[in-house]
Amino acid sequence: MLKFILKKLALMIPMLLVISLVVFVGLRSTGIDPITFMVPPEVQSQSPEIVEQLREELGLNKPLIVQYFNWLGDILHGNLGLTNKGEDIAGIIATRLPYTLELSVYAMLFSAVIGIGIGIISAIRQNGIIDYIGRVLAVLGQAVPQFLVGILVIWIFSIKMGIFPSGNRVSPDATNAFVDAFMHLFLPVLTLTIGMVAVLMRYARNTMLDVLNSDYIKTARSKGIPEWKVYMKHGFRNAMKPVLVILMFRIPALIGGSVVIESVFSYPGIGTTMTNAITNMDYNLVLVITLIIAAVMLICSFMVDVCNALLDPRVRLGE
Amino acid sequence: MSETKPLSIKEQNKSAASSLLKKNIRKFLRNKLAVFGLVVIVVMTVACIAAMAMGIDYSTPNPTIMKAAPDAAHLFGTDTIGRDLLARVLYGGCYSIFIGVFCAVMSSVIGAVLGAIAGYFGGKADMIIVRISEVFQAFPQLVLVMMLVAILKQRSMGNMLFVFVITGWMTTFRMVRNEFMSLKGETYVKVCEAFGMSKANVMFKQILPNVMTPIIVSTTTNVAYFILQEASLSFIGLGVADSTPTWGNILNAAKSIQVVQNQWWIWVFPGLAISLFVLAINFFGDGLRDVLDAKQQ
Repeated sequence: MLKFILKKLALMIPMLLVISLVVFVGLRSTGIDPITFMVPPEVQSQSPEIVEQLREELGLNKPLIVQYFNWLGDILHGNLGLTNKGEDIAGIIATRLPYTLELSVYAMLFSAVIGIGIGIISAIRQNGIIDYIGRVLAVLGQAVPQFLVGILVIWIFSIKMGIFPSGNRVSPDATNAFVDAFMHLFLPVLTLTIGMVAVLMRYARNTMLDVLNSDYIKTARSKGIPEWKVYMKHGFRNAMKPVLVILMFRIPALIGGSVVIESVFSYPGIGTTMTNAITNMDYNLVLVITLIIAAVMLICSFMVDVCNALLDPRVRLGE
Repeated sequence: MSETKPLSIKEQNKSAASSLLKKNIRKFLRNKLAVFGLVVIVVMTVACIAAMAMGIDYSTPNPTIMKAAPDAAHLFGTDTIGRDLLARVLYGGCYSIFIGVFCAVMSSVIGAVLGAIAGYFGGKADMIIVRISEVFQAFPQLVLVMMLVAILKQRSMGNMLFVFVITGWMTTFRMVRNEFMSLKGETYVKVCEAFGMSKANVMFKQILPNVMTPIIVSTTTNVAYFILQEASLSFIGLGVADSTPTWGNILNAAKSIQVVQNQWWIWVFPGLAISLFVLAINFFGDGLRDVLDAKQQ
């Protein structure tokens, strides 16, 4: 098992390198010159030698592969580089990333507990009242686009009721940091959770049903094992495999979702930074954020593999 | 006494299959929600296609009736530059539904084929495909879209479909691969192999049917997923070009908080259209799953 984990971990480093190379080359081959965003147009036309000098300093006239290794060297030395406006990228990430992490972790936590819980109750009491209400809520929550949920939530809680702020993360006049965080996080977390719960509930129900209809559950029952033990030990454990995969697979969707939701709530997280960086064609910033997101996703994929191996020995032995 | 001719095995199989189909249709029809879903899907699709076939005007701005509330002449009202919203929602439906169905089917086919190969053969083939899937997975869809937009200098429908298909096959792939890895150890697979059945036959005719239920459920869910994804991308301004009225592009107007507060019809109607259609697909998918799941019969 340890060997399995180490092997998987060792594979992540070349993966990250490949990804960074592909993204780097992809973004550089777009044919958009970062110099145009750094130097005002009048300087560009009047003194091309300054532009050339800057190009030289930034290493933009070297071959692409040399540029990549220079950039990679800088990253490994902890130098994330500067944005087109000359701001320190490390500083931006350090303030923005924790905001997004807060948002995603809370949404993930709440949706996992609520979604899997309701899904399993629905499967055990199939066609019961909770199953029916759960299914309707699940499909409703899944059917309405997340940004529309965000808009509705703003409309209800901010415009009509005036309880929560409609955007941002920190109030300038906040007295209690905890209360302030709660007020600003509530609506975006609620919006993200609604979307996640819907999906998880559906999958948890479907896979649990599959498991409960299988022969070994009947065998377990016929052995006289208490019903709750059948559900928890025999059913739940086997149903969790695909559900865990889906949960991990929802993380990209969660990140994608938070990009959109951050834009709805003007929440100053990594998603908003990313959207702005894309519209401003800010290569360096897009590159760094992409790599961070790629690393997060690789870790998730690693966790899926480990969970699968723990739950089903056939997967491990098949490697 | 009527004369009964002994049926050949082929004919017996045929009649068994048709009675199973009849049984399944009957079972499906008993599921009210699934039937409701199917009816809504058919009605909305037909309405959208009919509107497009009739060529109703969706694109001419009329400055005299900007932001008009719904009335008899414009059932859904008009948008911020005076275009009829009903026409736009119907036209948008054609594009959005097409994006959803095309991307879901294509990504499922790619995911299932690659998943079958990776899961069945294991070893090197598996490792390479899994690595490729992880590279794709590690790309945030937004960056890929943005890169394509920047490289191709246009936000066309083709680019959109390409990006969705290429970034959407991994969930099905993972699922099919895991199922194949478990199922290839089963006795019936070993028996087929021992009889010298070709690998392709074992994979696609023997194992794949056992994985079909989750594939079909995930394909139906994906139609909805891609429609929603298109809407989100268009909402933040990175979707199909603004001239194409997809449901997402129509909703883009709701980015302005003034529109949200004062012109409810501009976001409520396209929002309802998306939600209703996605809802219908999900009900239909659920019904389909209940019918197709052999273990419940």
